[in-house]
Amino acid sequence: MTFFTIVRRSLTRRPVRTCLTLVGISIGIAAVVTLVGMAWGYEKGVANQLDAVGADVVVSNMSGGLMPKVFSESLQAKVAKLPRVVDSTSILMQMLSVEDAPIMMISGREWGGFAWSRMTVLDGRMPKDGSEKAVVLGSLAAEVLKKKVGDTVQIEVEELPVVGIVDGHALMENGTIFLSLKVMQEATGNEDKINFVNIRVPPNTSKAEIELLCRDIKGIFPEGRAMVSTEVVGTSQGFRVIRAISWSTSLLAIIVGVLGVMNTMLMTVFERTHEIGILLAVGWRRRRIVAMVLYESALLGLLGGLVGVALGVLGLVTLGASPGVRGFIEPDLNPQLMLISIAISVVVGVLSGLYPAWRSSRLTPSLALQS
Amino acid sequence: MPVAALPAHAELIYQAIGLKKQFDNGKVVALRGLDLEIRRGEFVAIVGPSGCGKSTLLQMLGSLDMPTAGTLNYRGSSIPDLPDPAAYRSREIGFVFQAFHLLATFTVVENVQIPMFEGKLSRSQRKGRAVELLEAVGLGHRLQHYPAELSGGERQRVAIARGLANNPAVVLADEPTGNLDSESALQIIDLLVDLHRKLDMTLVLVTHDLTVAERASRIIRMKDGRVISDELAHAH
Repeated sequence: MTFFTIVRRSLTRRPVRTCLTLVGISIGIAAVVTLVGMAWGYEKGVANQLDAVGADVVVSNMSGGLMPKVFSESLQAKVAKLPRVVDSTSILMQMLSVEDAPIMMISGREWGGFAWSRMTVLDGRMPKDGSEKAVVLGSLAAEVLKKKVGDTVQIEVEELPVVGIVDGHALMENGTIFLSLKVMQEATGNEDKINFVNIRVPPNTSKAEIELLCRDIKGIFPEGRAMVSTEVVGTSQGFRVIRAISWSTSLLAIIVGVLGVMNTMLMTVFERTHEIGILLAVGWRRRRIVAMVLYESALLGLLGGLVGVALGVLGLVTLGASPGVRGFIEPDLNPQLMLISIAISVVVGVLSGLYPAWRSSRLTPSLALQS
Repeated sequence: MPVAALPAHAELIYQAIGLKKQFDNGKVVALRGLDLEIRRGEFVAIVGPSGCGKSTLLQMLGSLDMPTAGTLNYRGSSIPDLPDPAAYRSREIGFVFQAFHLLATFTVVENVQIPMFEGKLSRSQRKGRAVELLEAVGLGHRLQHYPAELSGGERQRVAIARGLANNPAVVLADEPTGNLDSESALQIIDLLVDLHRKLDMTLVLVTHDLTVAERASRIIRMKDGRVISDELAHAH
């Protein structure tokens, strides 16, 4: 028998209560894994999409939202004239409900712009020109909408034929419906409006030079913002809001878990006053009693963390396959997040055990034996 | 008050001078200026009616409770001022209680190992010592049983084995036969007498049963928180 046997035995003596406590803490940890995993997955998806499109600098007016506000497409011509800009293209992107899909990314791209160039046609063809009223579907979008070449897709007031299925080389690209900017503007009533200008700079342009370019853009587009594409996710206020919401919701769930563990450990200490009296009588030091209670609560935290991570992964996989999310967010099954979650759970367990441990260490042996 | 002739050559283990204990802000007085000396190797029975303070005295000898006033020394050191009372209980004292006080979720052999966690024995040494002690008290065949599966006499044997776990200098037994039938009580007291002889320990036993007390070498009678007599037992 080891000290750990004693710790483990006290948790198994009340299996139902221990299990209920584990459920409480594991729900909190599952919330962390699921919510933060979704948020990270969304961020990663956007980063991958920007990389797939091939933009070095992105100009938009996020204003704290997830989709940027529209602005005049005339901005592109001004941006194109700035030093260090070798190519630029206009995009109007919106998230809309399309037929049975609750939310889909629709990307109207300037015909001939570099945003079209990295797509690989899997079936059918690209639109003939910028004025053809047609769409091409990312491979996942086609799957989600159950569409093939020759079918039609209803976008706002327009019913547009599907002329091609493409591989966009990133999850969010594959989950997107593409059409020419002009057709998108007409379909959504945003004539002459765009909400992104994607810019390419010469290879090996230094970070300082890109920052100078961003400053120049700010000069001609004060209400908007130019961001280096690799920093869009990190600096966007919208993503910060997502992160804050996911962590704060998780925190609430964790607090519920903390209260559950604390309640269990307090009950355990109260119930075991007599037993603690025996341990003190046979010569156990108070710090060993404290360690026993803290080890128990840490073990509860560890087990709750493991179960919670498993539940969280299950939640992420389920959510990732659901119609509203598939092709839009790829849940991030990040080992780092799982380790962080388990560590949080153990810390939560230890913190929850502090007060009960302190209570147990204050017991007078003779009184504890009489209880 | 008759005082027993103490073996003056033996080391003074306990010395109490004017020991007082009050509870509930003085509303209950358990000990009223008690004087006592116990020497190494003695088997002392403390007898008296319920509420005379004998169990309170035993708890203070074991540092489970502290006196309100007076002096209480163990081998010359003040028990209330011990820097590490847990070490004193662990290394010097073995307790045997009337209600056995075994841990219900641990087997017999595990219960006996519990006090050894404050020592330096390895896992296998702890188990080996527990098995040895349980065999010595006649329970070698009950190692994996839980306390609830044992008779009262067997539980008290486990408690005695646990009390001896760290090879203590003193065993403090509080009504060890109080919860047992007469046959089991006789066996337990025989066991304690036998162990006292073999292990060269000091045994302080609290009882209200004079037939049990008469097995001791010295009988201290208490009443109303004071010692009223202290004499050698007829058996010795």
